[in-house]
Amino acid sequence: MSVEGKGTAAPGRIVPFAVAGTALLAVASGALFYYATISRKADPAQEVIKVEVGAKACNPNDLTVPAGRRTFEIHNASDRPVEWEILDGIMVLEERENIVPGFRQTLTANLKPGAYEITCGLLSNPRGKLTVTATAASDAAAQAGPDLKAFIGPLSEYKVFLVMQGSALESATRKLVDAVKAGDLETARAAYGAARLPYRQVAAVVGRWSDLANAVDPVAAYLEKREQDPAFTGFHRIEYGLFGQNSTEGLGPVADKLLADVGELKTRLRALKPVPEDLPEGAAKLARLLADGKIESGESAYAQSDLPELDASLAAIGKMAGLVKPLIPAGSENLAGDLDGRLAAVRQALDAFRKDGAWPAYDKVDAAQRKALADNFRALADTLDKVSQRLSVE
Amino acid sequence: MKAKHLLAAAALAVLFGGQARAEDATLDLVGPIADYKIYVSENLQKLVSDTQAFTDAVKAGDVEKAKSLFAPTRMSYEAIEPIAELFGDLDASIDSRADDYEAAEKDPAFPGFHRLEYGLWEQNSTEGLAPIADKLMADVNELNGLITNLTLPPEKVVGGAAALMEEVAATKISGEEDRYSHTDLWDFKANFDGSQKIFELVRPLIEQKEGDFVKKVADNFATVDTTLAKYKDGEGYQLYDKLSEEDRKVLATAVNTLAEDLSTLRAKLGLS
Repeated sequence: MSVEGKGTAAPGRIVPFAVAGTALLAVASGALFYYATISRKADPAQEVIKVEVGAKACNPNDLTVPAGRRTFEIHNASDRPVEWEILDGIMVLEERENIVPGFRQTLTANLKPGAYEITCGLLSNPRGKLTVTATAASDAAAQAGPDLKAFIGPLSEYKVFLVMQGSALESATRKLVDAVKAGDLETARAAYGAARLPYRQVAAVVGRWSDLANAVDPVAAYLEKREQDPAFTGFHRIEYGLFGQNSTEGLGPVADKLLADVGELKTRLRALKPVPEDLPEGAAKLARLLADGKIESGESAYAQSDLPELDASLAAIGKMAGLVKPLIPAGSENLAGDLDGRLAAVRQALDAFRKDGAWPAYDKVDAAQRKALADNFRALADTLDKVSQRLSVE
Repeated sequence: MKAKHLLAAAALAVLFGGQARAEDATLDLVGPIADYKIYVSENLQKLVSDTQAFTDAVKAGDVEKAKSLFAPTRMSYEAIEPIAELFGDLDASIDSRADDYEAAEKDPAFPGFHRLEYGLWEQNSTEGLAPIADKLMADVNELNGLITNLTLPPEKVVGGAAALMEEVAATKISGEEDRYSHTDLWDFKANFDGSQKIFELVRPLIEQKEGDFVKKVADNFATVDTTLAKYKDGEGYQLYDKLSEEDRKVLATAVNTLAEDLSTLRAKLGLS
């Protein structure tokens, strides 16, 4: 584009520009050279920061350095082997172990702005302080979005979460199958409620496999013959039997099929390769799906168990949001704070229904209350969309 | 027109940019890091229950039982030591040596496994150890809770495999860690297994490109395994002083090479 733009200018106008440009370049490079010569000594990036570890403390024991790659030279002036560590909270950022008395070792750390602690020799010695100040480069890095590498940790953690919930879902479903086959209505009802919770935790990804979603979680309202439709299978078919017909009759084969489908789901979750989009966008989609319909209409027509299930959905949204929150660049106004605020607001709105630790049946929640709850989820979805945009993983 | 072109180009860039991003090899690390977290969690669960039994024995004053549980209990801790940098405070509280304290063994601040080891072996007694056992149990429980909620930074996990081998090469190989009980070979086994686990999990990502490197590292781990296997005794290992000078040298050479080779793993995986 820029080449085309220049080509439209009259040639006569380019030459003076070029001359001026060359002159400017010469001046600029001269200035740069001058800057380089005068700043060579002052440039902290070039300087090795010297630290002496004594018997009782470090000297200096309070360091201030600019952000970026910094090299420290640690001199063990005590009479025991020591280690020197830079601590970020409880995490050891960098360390040198086993520095022999009288010896020097160097350590290079890529430091972000912030306050750090330093261990100096014996564990009983007072810790030192390291203050890392912001630079133009660190400010720019804080403004830029995270790189792909930054997602490896959160996505791994998300995968662990999905695999664990998949296993929990399988064992909870097995209990449901057992209770149904034993004809134990009360135990089966309780097992149904328990199995729905891990299902709701992984529901955000089940949606990507339509075969499984249609087998495990179809609702009668979307099927031609409603409850009588042969495609009415899975959780809600069992819910209909247990809560709508007050019976376990005929549910054995349905439960067996559900367990087989859940087993397949678990296998697919284990093989899943999550991508960055799955986190903030997945959380936003889930929140919006609930806000735009499911909360107001209600989803568990027979068990009226929407509230505990929404609680599980919110836990899943919170998990995803919590994983990406640390990736929100520092220069994002108060987006991380807004996200916390929205999550807390939905949590509070939901918890307000709970009485003495128990959730009321959903048919006791009136239309106005449902709308208010849906609005809360929608506001959370809006904030998650902003997070999604800020992390540029839309 | 131009604005439209620009928009179209931007849209394409977003489209292809997004696609390239999703298919980037960087994300191949997600599976291995997730599997490693599960490995760590399983070890921590075992550590919690084993530490319970060990500290119960200490508190019951049963010196012999406590001695028999010391080394096996430590194994699940030593297996996750590659990521000990993620919990520096707790590592110091659970596993620091007497040298880290001014008055060494006599220092009232000397805590954890090795303080209990000192009492059980050097003093042949559980006297005064109950509060130390309680603190160890509390620390192990805290560690379990901490790791459950911690996102593992991939560069720390991969770097940890090398860092632990360096530590074994620099200090542990002298038999300093379990200096009162001489159960160092148990720790070695767990340390090597813990580092090897990380290597094996990322191995498929570099097998093609780095065949020679992969083979060399795998061979060195195998050498360590064969050497340690000679000292197997029931469920555990013989005492460290039984290790022949020749085998000590074999182990030292292998661990030094492993430390050196594994230190390049981060860069090979694009994590430096």
